[in-house]
Amino acid sequence: MFLQQLVNGLTLGSTYSLLAIGFALVLGLLNMLNIAHGDVFMFGAFLGLSFAMLGMPLYLALILAMVGAGVVTIIIERLCFRPLRKSHFLMPLLSTIAFGIVLQNVATQIWGSEPVRYPQTTEIAQFQLGPVLVSSIDIIILATSILLMVGIDQFVKRTSFGRAMRATSEKPQTASLLGVNINWVIVFTFFASGALAGVAGVLTALVYSQITPFIGIRQGLIGMVAMVIGGVGNLRGAMIGGLMIGIIEIMNDAYFAAGYRDIILFGLFLAFIVFKPEGLFGTKEQ
Amino acid sequence: MLEIAHISKDFGGLKALKEITFHVKEKQIYGLIGPNGAGKTTLFNLITGFLPATHGSIQFLGNELTGLKAHKIAKLGIARTFQNIRLFGTMTVKENILVAQNIRARSGVTSLVQFFSSKERELQEKADDLLKRMGLWEKRKEQSLSLAYGEQRRLEIARALALEPRLLLLDEPAAGMNEAETEDLLGRISEIRNTGKAVFLIEHDMNVVMGICDYISVLNFGELIAEGTPDEIQASEAVIEAYLGREEE
Amino acid sequence: MSVYTQGVIALMGVNILMALSVYAIVMADQVSLGNAGFMAIGAYTSAYLSVKLGIPIFPALLIGALAASFIGLLIGVPLLRLSGLYFVMGTFGFGEVVRTFFMVFEPTGGAYGFRGPVGATLPMIYGWVLVLIVLFWLLSRSRLGRSLDALRDDAEVASSIGLNVTLLKLGVFWLGSFTAGIAGGLYAHYMFYIESGNFHILVSAIAILCVILGGMYTFWGALLGGVIFSILPEVLRFMGGWRLSVYGSVLVLMMIFRPSGIISRQMVRNTGEWVGGIFRKASS
Ligand SMILES: Nc1ncnc2c1ncn2[C@@H]1O[C@H](COP(=O)(O)OP(=O)(O)OP(=O)(O)O)[C@@H](O)[C@H]1O
Ligand SMILES: [Mg+2]
Repeated sequence: MFLQQLVNGLTLGSTYSLLAIGFALVLGLLNMLNIAHGDVFMFGAFLGLSFAMLGMPLYLALILAMVGAGVVTIIIERLCFRPLRKSHFLMPLLSTIAFGIVLQNVATQIWGSEPVRYPQTTEIAQFQLGPVLVSSIDIIILATSILLMVGIDQFVKRTSFGRAMRATSEKPQTASLLGVNINWVIVFTFFASGALAGVAGVLTALVYSQITPFIGIRQGLIGMVAMVIGGVGNLRGAMIGGLMIGIIEIMNDAYFAAGYRDIILFGLFLAFIVFKPEGLFGTKEQ
Repeated sequence: MLEIAHISKDFGGLKALKEITFHVKEKQIYGLIGPNGAGKTTLFNLITGFLPATHGSIQFLGNELTGLKAHKIAKLGIARTFQNIRLFGTMTVKENILVAQNIRARSGVTSLVQFFSSKERELQEKADDLLKRMGLWEKRKEQSLSLAYGEQRRLEIARALALEPRLLLLDEPAAGMNEAETEDLLGRISEIRNTGKAVFLIEHDMNVVMGICDYISVLNFGELIAEGTPDEIQASEAVIEAYLGREEE
Repeated sequence: MSVYTQGVIALMGVNILMALSVYAIVMADQVSLGNAGFMAIGAYTSAYLSVKLGIPIFPALLIGALAASFIGLLIGVPLLRLSGLYFVMGTFGFGEVVRTFFMVFEPTGGAYGFRGPVGATLPMIYGWVLVLIVLFWLLSRSRLGRSLDALRDDAEVASSIGLNVTLLKLGVFWLGSFTAGIAGGLYAHYMFYIESGNFHILVSAIAILCVILGGMYTFWGALLGGVIFSILPEVLRFMGGWRLSVYGSVLVLMMIFRPSGIISRQMVRNTGEWVGGIFRKASS
């Protein structure tokens, strides 16, 4: 029973991790929050749904949703961040809140505000692994998330573009002197952040099997909570923070009261901000 | 009145101040000189509570200052200026003065309904007087940051004086001024002393302070390498070496 | 006046109060994304008092706002040590904790919401708006107001001239949470029904937008922002289903083209002198 919940928690948590990484990428680079991140997640879920409705296999829908969500995030960068780079740090934050309203409204207009069922394009198989029952969806989610997390981690650590990203986040002036094209780094980072949110959206939709234009608000905020708990702007911290939140949420639902889920998560978040603002793993990129 | 005893300050591995000890007396103009990076501003930051000392004690009129919050230290009678001028940019010249009077005025919630009290009138007059003395009266309605550089320096000193301090700390007040402006400033500093205040001033060009200081300390790489009257300082081997050493770099 | 128009005007008053509650905290150079939390505390407390205990509306509102501001002081002490984005995230966390608390708190209806508070009239709402505007106006020309300006310009220098920066920050945080508490109480007693979803983070965000786009250096900006953001959604009604998209886009565009807000201090000063001039001419 407990093991089963742990697996469920990890599965859910891995989608939070993907969201949290997206927050951490942008925050690490620009020290700003993209509040519309959750709505990009929702948008990605709907894009995936539309492609699946067209009869595409899951992997293709996933990739296209990823690209779509990434492009939406580039638009966010263009409208909400780039013109406001020199203004008060709150302006981009508020601008993204406004952009989130737009995304929700557009989604409502296109897909309606009633919950939409996700088409089943893959056979769901169940595997009994000892005491734990794992579905093929769980496996897809875990495998995709882990693949992406390891991928982004290695990308930032090992490639020269990743080095440029780190240089830009630490010392933008020096980075530009060293010939790093900062605008490219920023655009790419936003794209990556959005793409991860898009994947998370499709994967989450697979689990819950139905979606509305308003699922993004809570999921996004929880992703931010996960990032803060892991350590603001810290990629690995965000991954672990997401997994932790997923486990806490599932354990709470299983052994306590589902109604208290969010108050516990936000309470934890508040406690971290006040007493341990650097998070579990520190705000500096190791 | 200001007793600095065995003060040290470390920034990580950097020892910015090492075991500094000296006294500033009432009504004295005390000069602290030393080359760039010697630790002069750091000492001011310790005195005014901007930074905690690593070790040592600072006493002012019998009160221990280390561990006190900056605003408490200001209330004890220490006012300061900054090496890179820091005026209140959204305020006019006169408002910069008025706000500095707040520790002497009723500036709590009751100030919302006090327009015509005699105390307030008195403070307004004091502010006007101060502006006139510092040659800023004509500019009183202008935005503080629109003033010329030398005027901004004077306004910053005026703002510090509005606190009616017993001790005034000036961090390189003559920096960036031409000879005439410096002359004028030194005259004003002497006048301030004549009103009964002690002045503790930092300068890295030692020729500026020789004329007006009663007593001088020399700081180099965080260490006090000499102290004495201007004549003694000018004759000191150690000082000449520190300054010549710097020229060679 | 139609019920509909009345409703819009009433909510405008509440929005103005919420914008002022954000402005209060902005005076100390902090931006709170949790004022909907204080609003909720004021709303639920006063509603409970008047519905369950039969306390008249005025004391109920006042107690609700005092409760909100008491919580404000409690949470303010640890939160005000934070700065910038961390303070924003901390207040956001606080707001969400309050909202999710009322979602499960049975005595005030939990997820079903709370029904029953009545009695807030337009004159009552605008009476409070007037009281607070007078307060902010007095503050803006007082020595206390100037201390706050100093803190906002340069907190370190402010402390070097003897200002107790922590106390000032706490004071305006108290005022902000009190104002939001009043707004919440009036909202509850006008709407008759409240639920935790009424105090969503978007409410806090819109209140901040009012202040930023109205102009964050004078309370007139908050006032104007409150008016604009109450009317804008109504004006956009003809857009039908795309209304919120247009609304959001207008906000994004305003941020790009008028990032410093509509009303500046200089404008207030000039207008003041202009009005003063007219009076002087008239009297001579
Ligand atoms: N807050 C700080 N953190 C770390 N190092 C500091 C800090 N403040 C000063 N330092 C270092 O301490 C040393 C002394 O600096 P300080 O500003 O006191 O010198 P100074 O004598 O005022 O020089 P100058 O004539 O250039 O103003 C310098 O090496 C400086 O880099
Ligand atoms: Mg210095």
